[in-house]
Amino acid sequence: MKDLTSLMESASASRRQFVIGAGTALAGIALGCPAVAQSKELTIISNIGNAAQRDVLQRLASEYEKASGVKITINNMDHEAHKTAIRSYLVVGAPDLCFWFSGNRMKAFVKRDLFDDISDLFERENYKSVLGPSAAAVTVDGKQYGLPLGGLLWGMFYRKDVFAEKGWTAPKTVKDLLVLGEQAKSAGMVPVSMGTKEMWPAAGWFDHMNLRINGLDKHIALMDGQMSYMDDDLKPVFDAWEELIKADLFSPNHTSFGWEQAAAALAQKKAAMMNLAGFIKYGFPEDQVAQIAFAPFPEITSGMARYEDFALNSIHVPKNAKNKEGARDFLAYFYKPENLSAFLETESAVPPRNDCPPSKDPLVNAAVESLKTVVGSAQYYDRDTDPDMAQEGLKGFQEFMARPDRREQILEHLEATRKRIFKA
Amino acid sequence: MFILPGALLFGIVIILASLQTVWVSFFDWDGVGEMQWVGLSNYVQLFDDAQFYVSLKNNLIWLGMFMLAPPLGLALALLLNQPIGGMRIMKSLFFVPLVLASVTVGVVFTWVYDPSFGLLSLIFGYFGATAPALLSDEHFVTFAVVAAALWPQIAFCLVLFLAGLNNLSEDLIGAGRVDGARGWPMLWHVVLPQLREVSFIALAVTVIGALRSFDMVAVMTSGGPFGSSTVLAYQMYEQSIFSYRFGYGAAIATVLFVIMAVFIAWYLRTLLKPEQENA
Repeated sequence: MKDLTSLMESASASRRQFVIGAGTALAGIALGCPAVAQSKELTIISNIGNAAQRDVLQRLASEYEKASGVKITINNMDHEAHKTAIRSYLVVGAPDLCFWFSGNRMKAFVKRDLFDDISDLFERENYKSVLGPSAAAVTVDGKQYGLPLGGLLWGMFYRKDVFAEKGWTAPKTVKDLLVLGEQAKSAGMVPVSMGTKEMWPAAGWFDHMNLRINGLDKHIALMDGQMSYMDDDLKPVFDAWEELIKADLFSPNHTSFGWEQAAAALAQKKAAMMNLAGFIKYGFPEDQVAQIAFAPFPEITSGMARYEDFALNSIHVPKNAKNKEGARDFLAYFYKPENLSAFLETESAVPPRNDCPPSKDPLVNAAVESLKTVVGSAQYYDRDTDPDMAQEGLKGFQEFMARPDRREQILEHLEATRKRIFKA
Repeated sequence: MFILPGALLFGIVIILASLQTVWVSFFDWDGVGEMQWVGLSNYVQLFDDAQFYVSLKNNLIWLGMFMLAPPLGLALALLLNQPIGGMRIMKSLFFVPLVLASVTVGVVFTWVYDPSFGLLSLIFGYFGATAPALLSDEHFVTFAVVAAALWPQIAFCLVLFLAGLNNLSEDLIGAGRVDGARGWPMLWHVVLPQLREVSFIALAVTVIGALRSFDMVAVMTSGGPFGSSTVLAYQMYEQSIFSYRFGYGAAIATVLFVIMAVFIAWYLRTLLKPEQENA
C-alpha cells in the first residue's frame, strides 16, 4: 500500500539519496561525536521526495547555521523506506528532528514514548494562538508532540472548461451527483474517476460518506475502535455508497490502476470529477493546471455540519535525540511564518499557521477559502485508525467497491479485526 | 577450514535468523515495543484466517503452473539446439527475460495486461472484443501473475537444458541411431536419461522459485484486488511491515518454511543418494 502523502512527494526521491543518507548515518555512528561538540550539532532525517522542497529545507538550514554557528546535517531518505526505518532509528540512533505524520500515526510513537513532549516550545512561541484547530492533530492528552506542517484538504475536483462547455455545475447534494452522473455517462464520460489499486482512494470515499451521514464524533469513534463495523448507523452509509456503485458512477476496473492514471483520465476529459487533494495537479500537464477547480464533497444528510478530511504532515523531536534544546531552537526558526510558507509553497499544501503570507497557488487558496466553513476535521482513514486496522479496512473498502454484494462478509471481517486490535 | 567464513556467515544469517523467526512467532510483537508471550495463539489465528487459505491456494497455483516451466524449457531447448543458421540470435533472444530483473518483467506485464492501453487489449480490440481486466479479476489475477513469472522461469530452464544437451554423449546417440531410434524413442530412451540430473535441478529450482514468489506479486498487484493474489511470502511481508504484527508474520514465515523444508529434504536426499552409492 502506498501512502497518500508519499504520492504527492514521491516526485523524485531516488535510491541514491537513500544510500547517501544511510551512509552518512553510518559514518556518524562510526566516528562518534565528542560530548562537547554535541550542543553545536543537529541531525535531521528528512523523507521529502520533492526536490524543490528539499532545496528550501537545505537553504533554511544553512541560513540557520550561519546565524547560530550550529552545524546541521540533513539525511535524506526515500519516502517509502523511511516509513520502516523510522521504527528502528527512533529506538537506536535517533536524529534530533524527523518528519512524520500527525494524528494516529504520531500517537503510535507517542504511546511507545519515542517522541519528545514539546509543549514547552508551544508555550514559549505561543503557537496555540496561530495554529487554531490544527494544533489538535499533534496533541495527545493535552500535550504537544510535534509541529503540524502542510495540510491536504480532500474534496471533489473537476475541469472548469469541461463544466462550462457542458453547462454543468458542481453537485451540492448526492442527488445532484447522481444527476451529473447520468449526464456524464450520456456524454461518454466516467462520472467519478477512481483508481483503487493502492486501495486508499476507496477509504477516502468512505470517510466522506460517513462524515456526511454520521458526522465527526461517530466517525472518530469508529476510527478509535469504539464503534462496531456492524453498527446500524453505518448501514445508510453503505446503502448510499452501494447506490452510487450500482449507478456506475465510478471508473470500471478501478482496482487495476492507481490514482495517477485516474487523475490522467480527468485531465484528458475522459472523466467528469475525481475525489482527491491538491496534489491532483501532478496528474495534469503544467499548462492545464489552471483548469482544475475544487468543490466540497456533496451533502448527503441535509443539515449535517460540514466535516472534512484534512490530513496534516508534521515534524517531531525524537525522545532519544541528543540535542533536544538545539532541535527546539531550530524548530522555532523553521516555523517562522515566512520560512514555513516558503517550505510549504513547493507542495501546494495549506499552511497550518493563520499568519502565513497568502499563497500564489490558486489550489491552495481554494482550499484555504473552503476550510473557513469546515466545522471539524478528520485526517484520513489510514491516518486516523490503527495501522493494522487500516490495512484490513482499506482492503475491505476496495472489495466493497468491486463487489458490493459481499457487504455482510466484509463488515463481519472488519468487525472481527476491530475486536482483535482494540480488544473490544 | 576454507569453508569456515562461509559457514559462519551462513550460520548467523540463515540458521540463527530462521530460529529467531520461529521464536518470534510465539510472541505478540509490533517490531518496536515489548514482546509478549502468546504461545500458539498466532498459529490459532492463522489457521482461522481466510486470507491464509487464499495465500496457500495461490501458492499451490504457483506451484502447479510453474511445473510447466521444465517441460516447456526442454521443448524450446531441443528446438534451439538444431544446427540452423541464425539460431544463435534466436537463442540470445530467448535469454532476454533471464537478464531482466523480475521487477522489470512485472512492470512490463502490468502494461501488457492494462485494460485501456495494454497489448492484450489491442489484440482483443483487433478481433472486436473487449479485453478482460486480468489484474482486477480475483479469479484470473493469480494466473495472470504466474504467467508473467513463467516467462523468465522457462528461459532459465531452457538455459539449463541447453547446457545439458551440449554434454550429451555422442557415442550413445550414435549407438541409438544404429539401433534405429528416431524421433520420440530417441528422445525418450537415449536423450532424456542423460538429462536426468539437469531435469532434477530444473525441477527443484522451479519448485523453490514458485514457493518463494514475492516480487512479482508485490510489483504487479500488491496482493490485490482485495488480497486475492496474495501468496504466503507476501502476506508475511504485509502483516509485519504494514500491520505491525511481527509475531503473526513470523508464524506465516514458519509455516512457509515447513512447506519448503519438505521439498528441500527431498532435494538433498536425491542429491546425496548417488554420492553415498559411489562412496
